[in-house]
Amino acid sequence: MTAYPVLTTTTFLPFVGAALILLFGSERLARWVALATTLATVAVSAPLYWYFDKASSALQFVESRDWIPSLNIAYGMGVDGISLPFIFLASLLSVLCIGASWAVVQTRVREFYAALLVAETAMIGLFAASNLFLFFVFWELMLVPIFLLIGVWGGPGRVYAAVKFLIFTLSGSVLMLVGTIAIYRTCDTLDFKALALARASLQPEQQAWLFAAFLAAFAVKVPMFPVHTWLPNAHTEAPTAGSVILAGILLKMGAYGFLRVSIPILSHGVQLFLKPMLFISAAAIVYGAYVTLVQTDIKRLIAFSSVSHMGFVTLGIFTLKQSGVEGAILQMFNHGIISAALFLCVGMVYERTHTREIKAYGGVAKSAPVYSSLLALFCLAAAGTPGLNSFVGEFLIIGGAFQTQVWLGVMAIWGVALGTAYIIWLYYRVVMGEMKLGLVGLKLELNAREVATLAPLAFLALALGLYPEYLLSYLRAPVAQLLGAGVTP
Amino acid sequence: MSDLALLVPELILAGMALALILAARRIQETPVAVVGTVLAAMAAALAAGWVLSWGDKTGFGGMITLDGYSQFFKVLIAATLALTALFSARSLEGDQVPRAEYHALLLLSSTGMMLAVSSHDLLPLYLGLELMTLCSYILVGIRVERPASNEAAIKYFLLGSFASAVLIYGISLTYGVTGTTDFAAIASALSKHGTGSNLLLLVAIGLVAGGLAFKIAAVPLHAWAPDAYQGASAPVAAFLAAGSKAVGLAAMGRVCLAAYGSEARFLSVVLAGLAGLSIVVGSIIALSQTDMKRLLAYSSIAHAGYALLGLVAGTGEGASATMTYAFFYVFMTLGTFGVVAALGERGEKLDGYRGLAEQRPGIALLMLLFLMSLTGIPPTAGFAAKFVVILSAVRAGYMALAVLAVACSVVSAFFYMRVAVLMYMNGPQEAAPARFPAAVFAVLAVSALVTLIGGLSPGSLARWAVSP
Repeated sequence: MTAYPVLTTTTFLPFVGAALILLFGSERLARWVALATTLATVAVSAPLYWYFDKASSALQFVESRDWIPSLNIAYGMGVDGISLPFIFLASLLSVLCIGASWAVVQTRVREFYAALLVAETAMIGLFAASNLFLFFVFWELMLVPIFLLIGVWGGPGRVYAAVKFLIFTLSGSVLMLVGTIAIYRTCDTLDFKALALARASLQPEQQAWLFAAFLAAFAVKVPMFPVHTWLPNAHTEAPTAGSVILAGILLKMGAYGFLRVSIPILSHGVQLFLKPMLFISAAAIVYGAYVTLVQTDIKRLIAFSSVSHMGFVTLGIFTLKQSGVEGAILQMFNHGIISAALFLCVGMVYERTHTREIKAYGGVAKSAPVYSSLLALFCLAAAGTPGLNSFVGEFLIIGGAFQTQVWLGVMAIWGVALGTAYIIWLYYRVVMGEMKLGLVGLKLELNAREVATLAPLAFLALALGLYPEYLLSYLRAPVAQLLGAGVTP
Repeated sequence: MSDLALLVPELILAGMALALILAARRIQETPVAVVGTVLAAMAAALAAGWVLSWGDKTGFGGMITLDGYSQFFKVLIAATLALTALFSARSLEGDQVPRAEYHALLLLSSTGMMLAVSSHDLLPLYLGLELMTLCSYILVGIRVERPASNEAAIKYFLLGSFASAVLIYGISLTYGVTGTTDFAAIASALSKHGTGSNLLLLVAIGLVAGGLAFKIAAVPLHAWAPDAYQGASAPVAAFLAAGSKAVGLAAMGRVCLAAYGSEARFLSVVLAGLAGLSIVVGSIIALSQTDMKRLLAYSSIAHAGYALLGLVAGTGEGASATMTYAFFYVFMTLGTFGVVAALGERGEKLDGYRGLAEQRPGIALLMLLFLMSLTGIPPTAGFAAKFVVILSAVRAGYMALAVLAVACSVVSAFFYMRVAVLMYMNGPQEAAPARFPAAVFAVLAVSALVTLIGGLSPGSLARWAVSP
């Protein structure tokens, strides 16, 4: 189909870029090398979108090589309609992260971009992996670059946030390791496709334990209530690029894990845990929204809003209805765009004002009309306004929730209402009203580089709001197959 | 003559040791000793590979055996010796340690190690282990000007002699029960007893396992390690951590499989206990350490536990998992100690790592790689190693032990990553360290390469890691 192994190239090109930067790059060159690498990554991934067959639910662009013959573990890559959008999102956000860090990051520039690029490799590789071993390797590879991004280039509480992030995620993922090993012991394979066929050999009781083990890893990453407490620290203290990657991709890794591992392989486990999962999701939506309302720090506010929004995602996934799951995946993508955009917006004014306190802002619209319009677009999108991307995803999820249990739908709508309240209130406090004294005289308006960084996300938010079918058409076949394989709510 | 040919690697090392001692007065101020040691180690490794091509053999009346297992560990020991010798230079200069004697002791200790891994009888095993340990006592105390070094040597010696007594007691009880010390003969004698019926035998096995547990610093026979590592110079500590542990594991593996195989159920409980205790105690006590070598001592205790997880299964597959673990552990721990040794006094204190990433980004990156590997984060060899040993524990049905092991690896992440935090997230307090000598770079490069290749291609070792 193509002249080169697309997925492997897309995955490891950033890694090569990181190695180049560390070995040869000067500080000045590092930015350009990083930008060139991320753009090249987008370019080499182009055949993925061009040749992708939406009608098929099977993995495509499959690559398989012997890797650990003694354990019968292969190096396997492949994408389906569920993972493809996230490969796109990861490669796009990486470019934007470099745009956002261009002027801000002035210390240890080489290491910064190297860490960013290694994180990109881990993100893309995770979504491209077609076996559990490789999935786990990329899952863990993500850990150290993000740890460094938060801890070295973050805000005042960065070390605490970085260590907390590391310990939380590692605690979850080591249990996933044991789960992986236990699955391997029973099924003698770790290939996703083979596992879906061999799952009958996993006893229901064993599946319950396995589901719990994987849940530990996925729930921390999503993050689900009550293991979300690392998230406000990490998102708040991370540099803008770190927050963008955390919110845009890292949170999706957990939800993707449910879709790739739990539902297809551990169907008994899913059924057993279904009620608690739905309850926790609904609780996260409402609790997250209430906590968001009272935040006084802009970044912390957006961070907590992620808890609520990711609650929608897990709610949608565990409705196990076609519309709910499709909506959940769409919403994962949407949240990736919107929260990334909001963190970018916050980062851009923070560079000028050096404060994240909402109180210090007000009347930004007077001196920064372009910024205010873009922020308005993203805030409206986050609130789920019709015509923008989140609306469709939330609509589908709520539809699925009502089909499952009426009270779940009610909780979700309650969450939407609160979501509108906190985000519009934030916009009101920051952008409207009288200009705060501290802001007078600052050049708040965006420059061309910053507008260019935000423009693709604004376009996507609008385009997916007007024509969500484009993304949904990718999801239809794989989701149908996922749900058709025997998991019933 | 053909019997002696089985011991070519040992003879090379012993010969070089004698040559260094004879020429000691002339070569004290020259790098001859280092070069000689490294060359001897390489020759021994090559010889080990070469004699393996003859196929499996035994000699000296069945006491010495030549198989893939022994040669695997001989190559590993030779690598440990060569890398240790390469990064010793700095600590030797600082403390005016006589070079020829120092290297001769390293060589003799390695000779003992090689003898131990190739013995197929309890007596040569004891002989080899004693040669190894006796030389290590002196190596730990060789910095005579330092009281801490002397104290460490005495502590190590007292506890070590106790452990040797335990081991020899176990051996004599085994002899009493079975009337032989040869592994194969023990196994065939035991097959006539009912499993678990002979209390004396169980005591004997417990004592032998205890004596060997001392060598690998497994809890509850670990107390010597922190003091000995702290008092010794960093290269000697590395030699103990890597070499002594690998040999202890090799001996444990062979004894468990070849000699006491019929008591697998009892052994598996003993080993699971040792492993679980070592992992928990090592990981938790390491949290409060402020001395880098002490921290690494507790880390090595925890790693002894992880390595033992493979042997718990009592199968050949499990033993290969332990071999894999030992192999990768040797390189990652030598790499870590290489950085510690190269930083000199600064490297001994945890606070000395503050701001290292700003002053020496390359070294900090390598250190980060080794720390990741020690934690078990992919794509490093430490992860591949952890994967295989935990797999073998799960296969043996020790699910709870596996969960305990991974839970403790989170705890260990906390103290390993604390070093990363100091390196990357704190400003420097001391002047930048002097340029590292080329030899140290060679050690770090080799260790990093093995750590990376082992992580990217975890199956690469499978061909050689064959159990006895």
